[in-house]
Amino acid sequence: MIELYHVWKQYQKPLWALSDVNLSVTKGEFCFITGPSGSGKSTLLKAIYREVIPTEGQIIIAGKNIQRIPDHKICAIRRQMGIVFQDFRLLFHKRVFDNVAIALRVLGTHPRDMKRKTFIALRMVNLQQRLWDYPSQLSYGEQQRVAIARAIVNNPLILLADEPTGNLDPDLAHEIFGLFRVINKQGTTVIICTHDKELIRRFGGRVLYLHEGKLHEKDIG
Amino acid sequence: MILQKAKYFLKEALNSLWQFKIRHVFSLTIICLSFVIVGVFLSLSNNLRFRARELSKNLMVVFYLHKDLTASERGLIEDEIRHSPLVDSVRAVGPEEASEKFIEDFPELKDILLNLNINPFPPSIEASLKDPGLPTEKIIQFIAEVKKNSGVEDVQFNREWAEKIRSLGRLTEAIGFFLGGILVLASFFIVSNVIKLNVLARKSEIEILRLVGATNTFIRIPFLLEGMILGVAGSCLSLLVVFFLIKLFPLYLGSSLGALQEIVGFRYLTQTQVLALIFGGGCVGFLGSLSSLARFLRM
Repeated sequence: MIELYHVWKQYQKPLWALSDVNLSVTKGEFCFITGPSGSGKSTLLKAIYREVIPTEGQIIIAGKNIQRIPDHKICAIRRQMGIVFQDFRLLFHKRVFDNVAIALRVLGTHPRDMKRKTFIALRMVNLQQRLWDYPSQLSYGEQQRVAIARAIVNNPLILLADEPTGNLDPDLAHEIFGLFRVINKQGTTVIICTHDKELIRRFGGRVLYLHEGKLHEKDIG
Repeated sequence: MILQKAKYFLKEALNSLWQFKIRHVFSLTIICLSFVIVGVFLSLSNNLRFRARELSKNLMVVFYLHKDLTASERGLIEDEIRHSPLVDSVRAVGPEEASEKFIEDFPELKDILLNLNINPFPPSIEASLKDPGLPTEKIIQFIAEVKKNSGVEDVQFNREWAEKIRSLGRLTEAIGFFLGGILVLASFFIVSNVIKLNVLARKSEIEILRLVGATNTFIRIPFLLEGMILGVAGSCLSLLVVFFLIKLFPLYLGSSLGALQEIVGFRYLTQTQVLALIFGGGCVGFLGSLSSLARFLRM
């Protein structure tokens, strides 16, 4: 599903944000990327959804070399992914429904299907009662669940989460990770960047450790 | 599906217009002012051209005669004019009739005329020509023939007037387009900058749209629509302003213009000009947004 071959990324000389990263994530895998702050976790995720372009190396997503895809067609790759951020990135002037439905709207989904799918996604994160609320009326945990609903509403092949529980208390963080597990069990490949070792230990799965841009397999247990 | 998308784009554009209303009112005012300038000059030009056309239709040569000519001398000149193959009809206008006509056209100058104690108007002969399409050279030749008479003091040929008025109309139009053009260009840059500010204000929203897989077109259309709505609204507003200016200006001037009111009596724009101004407004808005998006929404 996701393959990285000798990926290097340098923002500023002489530091390498990613240094010869090789990675293969199969379909349906549940995977953690951990490491200290500034180790290159976010850069790795950004390279996967092509927000940053590697200095060297190849990234293959669902059989396509994403570096060869022209800029204006990158949206096709992103439609196969759901992305969750630490700061939620919600549209605060739009209702919960519109925040989730936006991912379907850009696909040109029929309004009837859009309503149905949005409702299903919100039910999955247990927010079906807050459909017409604004994000500002929700708690942090609920806001993050809206962001997750937006990420999964179009049944993506891959779910990428960059420090999704960084702003949440341990109970909420546990709840959110539980949600990722449920999504993963439905066949979505999930990659989560976090430095919360306790949660990684509790939820298990493949753990990759990034340190100074170098990636290592790690056994947390 | 297309209708749904169109509805979404329109909703987004209107939301943004409402969200940043102060800066939009500012740009709307500038667009409106620019098109008011173009509209007013176009209206003036329309009026001058109309007058020139009217004058050309009644192609006439007026021969002003010496005051001290005898009736028989006047009769001879009148006969000579009447027998010209170019002339359709001839009308003799006496000093009294000319004076009455002047008072009728310029009532506010009546007192000045009466205070003169003499009638300054000479007798004249108005000759209507047969064919409005006659070459000017032929008419000038005819005038020269008549002018050989020592009794003819001066000649007024309204085709020259028509030409002058037509030129003035063209000049007015050119001034309008020049001044309006500068302001329209300013509107273009203002729309462009307003949209740039909107793009910057909605940066995070654009970021989210990009991350969920929106195409560049999907992101850009609401901004383009926003610019177009601004442009069209601005030009429509300007048409309304021009309309009221045309209606109210003569009321403000009252009868002080006298006969000149006929000449500068404002006419509204033609249907084509109205449509062209609305289309122009839309274009200014659209191109302003496009230039801003090309620079600030490169993906």
